[in-house]
Amino acid sequence: MDSELIEYLTQQRWYAGRNRKLTDAEPALVVALRDDIDLVLLDVSYDDGPGERYQLVLRQGDGEVGDALGDPEVANLLLAMIADSATIGPVSFAAEPDAELPAGETARVMGAEQSNTSVVFDEAAILKLFRRVLPGVNPDIELTRVLSRAGSPHVAPLLGSMSLDGGPETALGMLARFANNAAEGWDMAVASTRDLYAEGDLYANEVGGDFAGESERLGQAVAAVHATLAAELGAATALFPVDTMLERLAAVTASVPQVGEYAAAIESRYRALEGQPITVQRIHGDLHLGQVLRTPETWLLIDFEGEPGQSLDHRRAPDSPLRDVAGILRSYQYAAFQRLTEGGGNEQRRKQLAARAREWADRNRAAFCTGYAEAGGTEPDAELLAAYELDKAVYEAGYEARHRPHWLDLPLGAIANIVSG
Amino acid sequence: MDASNGGVEHPSAADFGHARVLPEDRTWFKRAVFYEVLVRAFYDSDADGSGDLRGLTERLDYLKWLGVDCIWLPPFYDSPLRDGGYDIRDFYKVLPEFGTVEDFVALLDAAHRRGIRVITDLVMNHTSDAHAWFQESRRDPTGPYGDYYVWSDTSEKYQDARVIFVDTEESNWTFDAVRKQFYWHRFFSHQPDLNYDNPAVQEAMIDVLRFWLDLGIDGFRLDAVPYLFEREGTNCENLPETHAFLKRCRKVIDDEFPGRVLLAEANQWPADVVAYFGDPETGGDECHMAFHFPLMPRIFMAVRRESRFPISEILAQTPEIPDLAQWGIFLRNHDELTLEMVTDEERDYMYSEYAKDPRMKANVGIRRRLAPLLENDRNQTELFTALLLSLPGSPVLYYGDEIGMGDIIWLGDRDGVRTPMQWSADRNAGFSTANPGRLYVPPSQDPVYGYQAVNVEAQRDTTNSLLNWTRTMLAVRRRHDAFAVGSFRELGGSNPSALTYVRELEGDGEVDTVLCVNNLSRFPQPIELNLQHWNGYTPVELTGRVEFPRIGELPYLLTLPGHGFYWFSLRAPVGEEP
Repeated sequence: MDSELIEYLTQQRWYAGRNRKLTDAEPALVVALRDDIDLVLLDVSYDDGPGERYQLVLRQGDGEVGDALGDPEVANLLLAMIADSATIGPVSFAAEPDAELPAGETARVMGAEQSNTSVVFDEAAILKLFRRVLPGVNPDIELTRVLSRAGSPHVAPLLGSMSLDGGPETALGMLARFANNAAEGWDMAVASTRDLYAEGDLYANEVGGDFAGESERLGQAVAAVHATLAAELGAATALFPVDTMLERLAAVTASVPQVGEYAAAIESRYRALEGQPITVQRIHGDLHLGQVLRTPETWLLIDFEGEPGQSLDHRRAPDSPLRDVAGILRSYQYAAFQRLTEGGGNEQRRKQLAARAREWADRNRAAFCTGYAEAGGTEPDAELLAAYELDKAVYEAGYEARHRPHWLDLPLGAIANIVSG
Repeated sequence: MDASNGGVEHPSAADFGHARVLPEDRTWFKRAVFYEVLVRAFYDSDADGSGDLRGLTERLDYLKWLGVDCIWLPPFYDSPLRDGGYDIRDFYKVLPEFGTVEDFVALLDAAHRRGIRVITDLVMNHTSDAHAWFQESRRDPTGPYGDYYVWSDTSEKYQDARVIFVDTEESNWTFDAVRKQFYWHRFFSHQPDLNYDNPAVQEAMIDVLRFWLDLGIDGFRLDAVPYLFEREGTNCENLPETHAFLKRCRKVIDDEFPGRVLLAEANQWPADVVAYFGDPETGGDECHMAFHFPLMPRIFMAVRRESRFPISEILAQTPEIPDLAQWGIFLRNHDELTLEMVTDEERDYMYSEYAKDPRMKANVGIRRRLAPLLENDRNQTELFTALLLSLPGSPVLYYGDEIGMGDIIWLGDRDGVRTPMQWSADRNAGFSTANPGRLYVPPSQDPVYGYQAVNVEAQRDTTNSLLNWTRTMLAVRRRHDAFAVGSFRELGGSNPSALTYVRELEGDGEVDTVLCVNNLSRFPQPIELNLQHWNGYTPVELTGRVEFPRIGELPYLLTLPGHGFYWFSLRAPVGEEP
């Protein structure tokens, strides 16, 4: 066990074992990318259950352990290996057929992320190196590839990938086109609400920063992605997943008493849909305004990793496209109400802001659904959609209670609103 | 006109004096700042209540002081004025109230002496129905002008061509009671289209070009170029024959008058307009310039939405243009703010945001000046002007906008944006010494925009006036050719309210790099820029020459006030730095 290596590992943002006791860390694989650069897969074990496998790119020598990915030369080395579809030991690099890769002059590591490290090359391509290595098909690579090959304009095309040979398929990284001139849907939505709140007496449809046009186009983009995924990977009929939703409800109610107040009402909404056939297919799985990018041409969906914290199998299971729709609709409420979570202001002012936030969220929900229906052919079923929104809001309540208690009112308000509606 | 044998005689350029010409320069228009001025509205030299060519000549020093490189004059030809002078009665004669051909030559000469060029509108597509050619054509179908216009026994031909002025015209055909045939007109029925299938018409129009070019004019804005020819089964726009004729005109320029320019007015999407620059292999062999129409409403939309994407979108859709070509870009001009090149949804948005009073609408557009469109917000006016001066293309200013003049929406048609230039707080805004009742339209007396409050004299003496600010920005722009002819690259960034781009020009082994950062939001914004390409460079702010912190490996952070902008020159590191 290398103490220096462990010290390095435990300081990384993507290290997930911070609250556990590490008992051992052994390299499962060391591949020399260059004389002084190693790609290392490190198996970490804990005293309380299953361990984790991490991917590191390390510089050897001088007795010092350090991350080498921040060095543009090293990052470009990985890029070149993908371009050449090289194989080094058990690590396979592969360029997508006909993909145009940048030559790689500049490379910069993007800001810290939870489970990946991203390197941007020449503002043209982005390499996502997976830090947590899991056996199984990676849904982000899988769906990005399917959408790219189908020519979908709503995805940043896949350019290449890295994986581990032998044993079950294991993804190490993916290279995609970088949407250089893009902004997150979240930032754009917040810019719009900012504009609204600065006006004393104008309605959401009257202010210059109205976002409804963008919401409609976003709805079209999401519908188009769903249609492409259904066409490429199939769709089927399943029963409304009442048990799964009830399980989540029970779990969250146990830890967040405020949800208990609504539990009976939520349950009866779910029960009313019991036995109802629904369409299931591959979906994004964790869609919200932070997972969509506005480019000069269109809206893109990014990060097809599925629901965080779930197993790969679960993340790849067919699900209702309404889960994605509900994700965006919930995100509108967050964008509209985030100003209110900052506190301050008198009761009167807060009441007024809340009314305007609701109005903004309603307007953009409606526009998104219109766009979704235009491009998808059908207006989402209201009762089903409400159930998926409830499921999402229950999940959010659990999350907020744990991490951001002052945001808890937000999902609770949404739950109250839906069950009373 | 000698009507005895049906011949219409025209003067020759040799009958007049010629203006001195500026040194030959085939690319001046790519670097020029244009200024559109209406002769009638600028300065009245003879107290008849209407501006004239001599008046304009008297005020050239003002334009020189401001930093204008080229004046664009809407038509000043003899005309019955049923369409603002775009209905030309005689191509060889100046509208008497504006002066004479001699006055025009004197204007050209005085402008050239100051290094200022002059271009004017030329309507190629049609004439006034009062033009002698048309009168001859209807009187004598077999005479020399019988075939100068597009005549037909029926009104059934070319049904696929749209009617452009839907408010006033029902058809593109009108029956003429004299000739007892229908004549073709894409615009008003009093503006019959010339028949370009007749070689004599092509010759006659090229003779018109030669006449004014011989006198020394620097170029023409060709009005309504897409409509010159008609072909059954087409929409009669942008036909190959039209392009072939423009190539002929360009050859006349290149062979006989190098350095003069043709500017196409084609109100279409940029991807379609580029055809009017001609063959890129030759560097362009039709028009030197064309207006970029959709950019302007997108600038308004982007600032109102506090999002760069309306602008980014249209620039991303704008194709490359030939080496010897340039876009003309503008915020406002003598027409309404035209909304033909936006979607229906965007048009509704523009109306609701910028034309709150129904009288502010005209045809498919908004008839307002820049300052009132922006609610007289100085910060926004500066931001808009900074965008105009730094986006790709040669900027066209509209007279009076440099002092923030307002409009009079109660005047008919588009006269509201064509009121007299406000020179001073004196009678008639210093525009004319005529009895106020004689003015063609009154100057603005609005408490905010009226001439007592807004005029050149007062603003010239105030350091921080809009006029002096505009003059400074024109001077800054002139110091960096990158603004005019540099490459354009958007830098993007995560803040949707920030529009950031780099203009770069290589020359003499050095690269002139200008960085423009614009905050389209009314609220202060932080902006993080990835400037890795310029690691080690120092941004130098261009109006005050203040050095900003050196660019490093990390994202470069700037903060901007609401509607703020920066222009930086990026200075390369010199020698070995520690």
